[in-house]
Amino acid sequence: MSVEFQELRDAVRQVVDGLDKLGAEQDYWHQCLELGWLMVAAPEELGGLGMGCEAAVAVQLELGRGLSGAPYLPAVMAVSAICDSGLDDKSERLEKIFTGEAITAALVDGGLSASAQTLSGTLNAVLSADSATQLLFWTDDQSLVAIADLSHSAISAQGRDTWDTTRRLFDVELQSLPVADVTVLAEGRSAQTMIKQLRMQRDLGLAADAVGASTALLEMTVEHLNTRIQFRRPLAMFQALKHRCADMKTLCEASEALLISVLDTDSDADVMAAKQMATSHYATVAEEALQLHGGIGMAVEHPCHLYLKRAMLNPHLGTSSAACAESAVQALLDSVA
Amino acid sequence: MSETQLEQFRQEVRGWLGDNIPQGWRAAMTNAEQPAFVELQQAWFKKLVEQGYATPHWPEGWHGGGRSLAEQKVIFEEVARADAPRLILYFVALYHAACTLFECGSQAQKDKYLPGILNGEIWCQGFSEPNAGSDLASLKTRAERRGDKYIINGQKTWSTMAQYADRCLLLARTDGSGPPQAGLTYLLLDMKAKGVSVRPIDQITGDDEFAEIFFDDVEVSVEDRVGEEGNGWAVAQATLASERGLTLVELTQRMRGGLSMLVETLKSQGRLDDPHMRQQLGQVIPQVNAACAVADRYLQKRISDQEQVGDASIVKLYYAQVLRELVRLGVQSEGLAGQYHGGFMRGATQETGNWALDFMNSYNWSIAGGSNEVQRNIIAERMLGMPREPKQWQLS
Repeated sequence: MSVEFQELRDAVRQVVDGLDKLGAEQDYWHQCLELGWLMVAAPEELGGLGMGCEAAVAVQLELGRGLSGAPYLPAVMAVSAICDSGLDDKSERLEKIFTGEAITAALVDGGLSASAQTLSGTLNAVLSADSATQLLFWTDDQSLVAIADLSHSAISAQGRDTWDTTRRLFDVELQSLPVADVTVLAEGRSAQTMIKQLRMQRDLGLAADAVGASTALLEMTVEHLNTRIQFRRPLAMFQALKHRCADMKTLCEASEALLISVLDTDSDADVMAAKQMATSHYATVAEEALQLHGGIGMAVEHPCHLYLKRAMLNPHLGTSSAACAESAVQALLDSVA
Repeated sequence: MSETQLEQFRQEVRGWLGDNIPQGWRAAMTNAEQPAFVELQQAWFKKLVEQGYATPHWPEGWHGGGRSLAEQKVIFEEVARADAPRLILYFVALYHAACTLFECGSQAQKDKYLPGILNGEIWCQGFSEPNAGSDLASLKTRAERRGDKYIINGQKTWSTMAQYADRCLLLARTDGSGPPQAGLTYLLLDMKAKGVSVRPIDQITGDDEFAEIFFDDVEVSVEDRVGEEGNGWAVAQATLASERGLTLVELTQRMRGGLSMLVETLKSQGRLDDPHMRQQLGQVIPQVNAACAVADRYLQKRISDQEQVGDASIVKLYYAQVLRELVRLGVQSEGLAGQYHGGFMRGATQETGNWALDFMNSYNWSIAGGSNEVQRNIIAERMLGMPREPKQWQLS
């Protein structure tokens, strides 16, 4: 892990810890724009900060800590797709994103088919679709990656109430959207390459979110156990509880170390493994955290449930856990063959 | 050393290992008797010493010494990658004994013992006792000062390869009056001395890798005391810290070899397409990768002087857990066939491909060197800042 990575992470953490409400989409989005976090991964010649894709992961680690509801991840994906595209007006498009024109995307695969000259289908888990102006998407057959205006009459967005209230997910329906009306970023083989890249970024972002959130949640749990007195001693003095916290810490460390180790890989199997581990460890940490908080963890006034609900959602975003596991097996079989 | 030089060194080590690893050692060690094992260890040790790869951690001036931590890591990684035998018989000598002497020994002690280590003297560790395991400081083996000698009486246990050892790193009690840690003294003991007897322990695997050591009025010269009388606990910490992380870099990397063996087993059992087995394999692979990443990250922290208390405990605890998962899956993938007694392999330690054996051996890592429970205490109390256990309880 580079010094630059750590410094960025520390800086973002300071801001996140300074915000007083977990999740708060507007506040987080404001910081993302104000402090240039959307620019970190884009190259300098296109107006970015040229810190590489891992810089966006550093930001997301800490956004996860605060359960940020801002649509940072789709924006990172869009920035990357535009940079890798053959468009002539990359700088102008990026400039718009950096100054607040939100571009969103689906956080799960599937739903969109291309027929003749139109696009139809429904994309699920599209983040903050009502506040975004544009949509990044790709077709199921991987022949096309494109951007469309969300205001187009062939596109409609329907908000979904999710248990996780820190994120706002939408179903976005495309009804015979003419291909002529979208901005094509990649087609054919280059679309496949771009989609692989975008999926990897999505999985990395979700993994970082999970690592950041589980780390914060463990801190919160330890603090609770240190201050709550029962049987005339802090709960943290009971070994049965201490050991569970030590196990949670070990899970956090494993997820983080694996995530950091795959930052410069081009193997999507390795990235999927990191995503699978981070989201499943986060789920375990969140289950334990609620139990260790006791009754107060069941109260809506306490933030425990926000972390738990996000932990329940995360494994279902990005590449599915089953697909992650299968790809790890396949990569191993290929390596020993 | 620059990245390029380090890579060059890696190629050099890789090339040398390729040419020098005892050919077919796994087959030779299958169902081998212990003398054959000792012979292989001696020959492999000699080669590594000559090449300088056994002593990269020794100070400059010693043959092979003066290598940076980054270079040492390269050697351990390449040894794992090449699937070379582990130097089990010499580990205590090369790391625990040598590092203790370098850090705390007198010049006379260094002159007397270090050349012997290079010549193949075997050392063992005399720390644990039947009633002092996790609570090591409560140990009871007595060292009584008489003139310029200490007279040792007591018993040690779980001493790896003590039956072959020439010398012993002994932690004994010289004073029972104060706090337990304060009355300990660190001595270098000749295993051939009068009054020393060794009894190998029959283990559940069928091996006898560990032994008990009994001391009956054994004399140790005052010159063989390391550090001051009563300062043994601090010296023992130096011993235990000597290989921090390097072993685990090697062992976690070796689990990658374990994964390949697992694939072989699944193939031979015709279960490679069994969705249940595939799903479980898919869970273990990221864990093996993560264990490597955790160990690697820990060593990077050490290299850049950023190690924190408890970091090492996380590496060890996580390795022990992942290893258990891996070998358990091995046992499971063999089905009934794995319950028939298979070939017994020496010197491979964890991944022999005989999964039932490997499963039993995996308890070495969750019990020895600070059990998982001890590691959890360290992580909780010293990393997470949770309070210690109250100590009022008394034997009634």
